[in-house]
Amino acid sequence: MHIPDGFIDAPTAVAAGAVSVGLIAYALRKTGKHLGERTVPLLGVTAAFIFAAQMLNFPVAGGTSGHVLGAVLCVALVGPWAAAIVMTAVLLVQALGMADGGITALGANVFNMGLVAVLVGFGLLAVLKRLLPRTLTGYMISVAVASWVSVVAASAAASLELALSGTVPLGVALPTMISVHMIIGLGEAAITTAVVGAVLAARPDLVGSFDLSLPRSRPALHGAGRRTRFWAFVAGTVVVAVALAVFVAPFASSSPDGLERVAADQGFESAATAEPLWGSSPFGDYQMPGVANGKVATAVAGLVGTLILFALVLLTGRVLGRRRAAASPGLAGAQDSPSDFGAPRGQA
Amino acid sequence: MPLLAEGRAGKSPLHRLDARAKILGFVGFTVVVVSTPAHAVWAFILYATVLVFLLGLARVPPAYVLRRILVVVPFLLVVACFLPFFHRAGAGGYSLGGLHVTGEGLLVLWNAGAKAVLGALSMIVLGATTGFSDIVWGFERLRAPKVLILIVGFMYRYSFVFVEEARRMRRAMTSRNYRARWLWNIPVLGHMLGALFLRSYSRGERVYVAMLSRGYEGTIHLGERTTFGLTGAAFVGSILALAVTIRTLASIWGAA
Repeated sequence: MHIPDGFIDAPTAVAAGAVSVGLIAYALRKTGKHLGERTVPLLGVTAAFIFAAQMLNFPVAGGTSGHVLGAVLCVALVGPWAAAIVMTAVLLVQALGMADGGITALGANVFNMGLVAVLVGFGLLAVLKRLLPRTLTGYMISVAVASWVSVVAASAAASLELALSGTVPLGVALPTMISVHMIIGLGEAAITTAVVGAVLAARPDLVGSFDLSLPRSRPALHGAGRRTRFWAFVAGTVVVAVALAVFVAPFASSSPDGLERVAADQGFESAATAEPLWGSSPFGDYQMPGVANGKVATAVAGLVGTLILFALVLLTGRVLGRRRAAASPGLAGAQDSPSDFGAPRGQA
Repeated sequence: MPLLAEGRAGKSPLHRLDARAKILGFVGFTVVVVSTPAHAVWAFILYATVLVFLLGLARVPPAYVLRRILVVVPFLLVVACFLPFFHRAGAGGYSLGGLHVTGEGLLVLWNAGAKAVLGALSMIVLGATTGFSDIVWGFERLRAPKVLILIVGFMYRYSFVFVEEARRMRRAMTSRNYRARWLWNIPVLGHMLGALFLRSYSRGERVYVAMLSRGYEGTIHLGERTTFGLTGAAFVGSILALAVTIRTLASIWGAA
């Protein structure tokens, strides 16, 4: 997903670069305040870890393989702002040291993989933590969902930039990039949950986002201010999702997808059976039945689809989480057990 | 994938040049290249000539350059797959086995491809003639955010250690006849990476304590290295002047 030089035009590069510079500056201030003089060694070493993790290919099927992006992994381990800095450092070294990702596209690459992936992943982790049961399974599901969505969101951002630059039409770029990364995201989700699980087993104190036992140990987090901020965040996420579904979806699908296009051109579209297996699907061709205007229908279908997906994820999480919670008497013990790896973070 | 550039040792004038001058020169050069209109094909050939001349001056082996340029090729292939779907209304074009490629689609591919290769090439010249610690130093002197630059320097230093560590772990698995082949083998790799993270994090803590015991107070002094001087100014001036001249001629004459 590293965009090279020449794939995006000057306005897009400058705009993405400006947003990235602003947010990274904010992230640096925020992290510097939190970690203080430990910032440089700890984040430097974490960045080196993410870099090494990206070099390690994991199998997808048979001979093919992919590698992890690591944005949500980073969020789960060091928190969102530190994760943004770590990802930026990794991208900077890749651009300067490996010519991987163009130097003029660095702003866009940082925006996609350092900010969109990190912040979307962080947002989902925060929202799902509230919505799913507070068990290990619930947490793992939220990590899996967040890492899957983070990869897809980053690829969507990249294809938007490519389309804005006129390199690839949005109707081609968005579906292609998203569908490819929906598959790559499965590997990302699997490996992220596996790594987070392994770290949790050995040193739960290092997984910053894993604080399930909060109600007991840190009641302050349930204060009124926290709650307001949380619901503001949920509202913001919903607004963004709805905006995407309503405004981007019709734009994206106003031209048919690649296969349909080829089918229409080659005249074998009519060969498709009139009543296919999925012919009774409620939103065939992403159109809402009973809505006349095509664009509006697509937007409504996108909206309903998003909400249904959201509900489905929640439901699965709740059901799985409850079953696991009933089987094992919670995780409180895991937090209290002494860590195997020497002193916890705070005493170093 | 080739590992990071290690700043190949050498004694050429380009190697001795101040890091700030090289950063400004090559980044500026890339910016000018990317802004050049795509239809002026000869301009890109001239840009490439400049970079190849500099590579020759620095005596960088061609095999090394070739290996690193391959990084951009996968992305180009992906875009090539999109070509048949570009601007179907565009005039002219070529047909092959039912797939129609328009001239405009080819231009987009050329534009992106040429600029990607030239951008990668100029970063390769920079990386091949400048040690990474010098690049970090140069960015620090150019007033880049110091904390970010120091993190990058740290990361660079330890990435070799961790990549080697990951390879050792993988070798240990292989020597015990384990081979991950399918998606459901991922948890094993995940646990391996988890162990790697724990090792690297505790290494980070040890490094921090070691730094504290040597008087670390939150800043690192990179010291003085080379001077920018007249040579640096001359290099930046001449490479940018050359690029801007080609760029101007390209927009005047277009596809001459």
